[in-house]
Amino acid sequence: MYRPGGSVLHRMPAGPKLLAVMALALTISLAPASPWLLAGAAALVLGGYLLTGLGLPELGRQLRGLRWLVLVMLVPQAVFLSLPAAAVNITRVVVVVLLAALVTLTTRTEDLIDAVARALGPLRRLGVNPSRIALMLSMTITTVPVIAGFAVQVREAQRARGVPVQPLAFVVPLLVMALKHSDDLADALTARGVD
Amino acid sequence: MNSGIRFEDVSVEFSGRPVLRDLSLDLDHRRIAVIGANGSGKSTFARMLNGLVTPTRGEVRVHGIDPARQPKRVRRRVGFVFSNPDAQIIMPTVAEDVGFSLRGQGLSRPEIQARVAAALDRFGLTEQADAPAQTLSGGQKQLLALCAVLIREPGLVVADEPTAYLDAANSRRIAGFLLDEMPQQLVIVTHDPRLAVRCDVALRFEAGTLVDHGDPVAVVARYEEEQR
Repeated sequence: MYRPGGSVLHRMPAGPKLLAVMALALTISLAPASPWLLAGAAALVLGGYLLTGLGLPELGRQLRGLRWLVLVMLVPQAVFLSLPAAAVNITRVVVVVLLAALVTLTTRTEDLIDAVARALGPLRRLGVNPSRIALMLSMTITTVPVIAGFAVQVREAQRARGVPVQPLAFVVPLLVMALKHSDDLADALTARGVD
Repeated sequence: MNSGIRFEDVSVEFSGRPVLRDLSLDLDHRRIAVIGANGSGKSTFARMLNGLVTPTRGEVRVHGIDPARQPKRVRRRVGFVFSNPDAQIIMPTVAEDVGFSLRGQGLSRPEIQARVAAALDRFGLTEQADAPAQTLSGGQKQLLALCAVLIREPGLVVADEPTAYLDAANSRRIAGFLLDEMPQQLVIVTHDPRLAVRCDVALRFEAGTLVDHGDPVAVVARYEEEQR
């Protein structure tokens, strides 16, 4: 989520910033693994966070947010590959996610939406509506914390009744709440003049 | 542009089930309260005012516009505030959500930013401008929803139970703004008789039928008498 600031990254236009991160992500993902590559990528991330003025506390928050993703990826890879190979793969993913977070931390969503809409402009000839796709992206960003809130509500309701946590008993009410929310959101969009 | 709301022999059915029957009505009041039990048809009535629901029979006119035939035009004229503030937030941050209402109006980015800043200042949300909208309190979210509606400068604001999710202090704040400060015409759907009696006219629905309307104090008194 955007954090206001006046750093070079904050002032950089959204389009070039997105392109730069995409190029870096591709390089980090596709280049042959080497200690130098990973060390360079980690230094790049560290430098990026220091440059934004958000610093190490923000980097720590982002890393804490990734802990479950790391765990889910680490276990199967450590079992089926090897621990060093798993560590390399996970480092690549974490670095790419942290770089992507740098974009969202330093770019207003409306600027990102405009950049995505401009990039998708040529697809108009194929019947694609770029502004609709851009709106969908921004609504996805808005809705993630809402759905997370629903998940907490369902879990608390189950705990309050002393019901043991069961996947189906968790997923079904969560889906119902999400669908109801999407209905309400559709009404809100219509009321605000979006067809 | 007139400020009249006219319903002519309007009925609404959902999947063959009648939810509003034979409604004929002319309203020209500034503050209109709509009361009634759950499922009485009051939200359906409110939703017809900006074309969220279209009548199965009959004709609706809002400020001279037919919402069923001219939905885009009526939505520029009629703002809608829902009861659940969470379900009205479209964009991630407060300023972006308010600015979203001005998209497609041919305004430049600086013009939008200036109008958003003025609107946020009016609602006391300037400090939260860059905050994630979902982190606001319930009352602040409802203020944000109002701000996002009023920045389009509608002639009529429809509020469907706008205080239902709020605590007492925030309810008073939102109700005070809607009923006392806002210059626009207002249709407020409410279960709170204290809000209804502050309006200029009250409508009471029951099982899809308008059963009473007129002076709000008298309408609310008859409603409460029947509830005893």
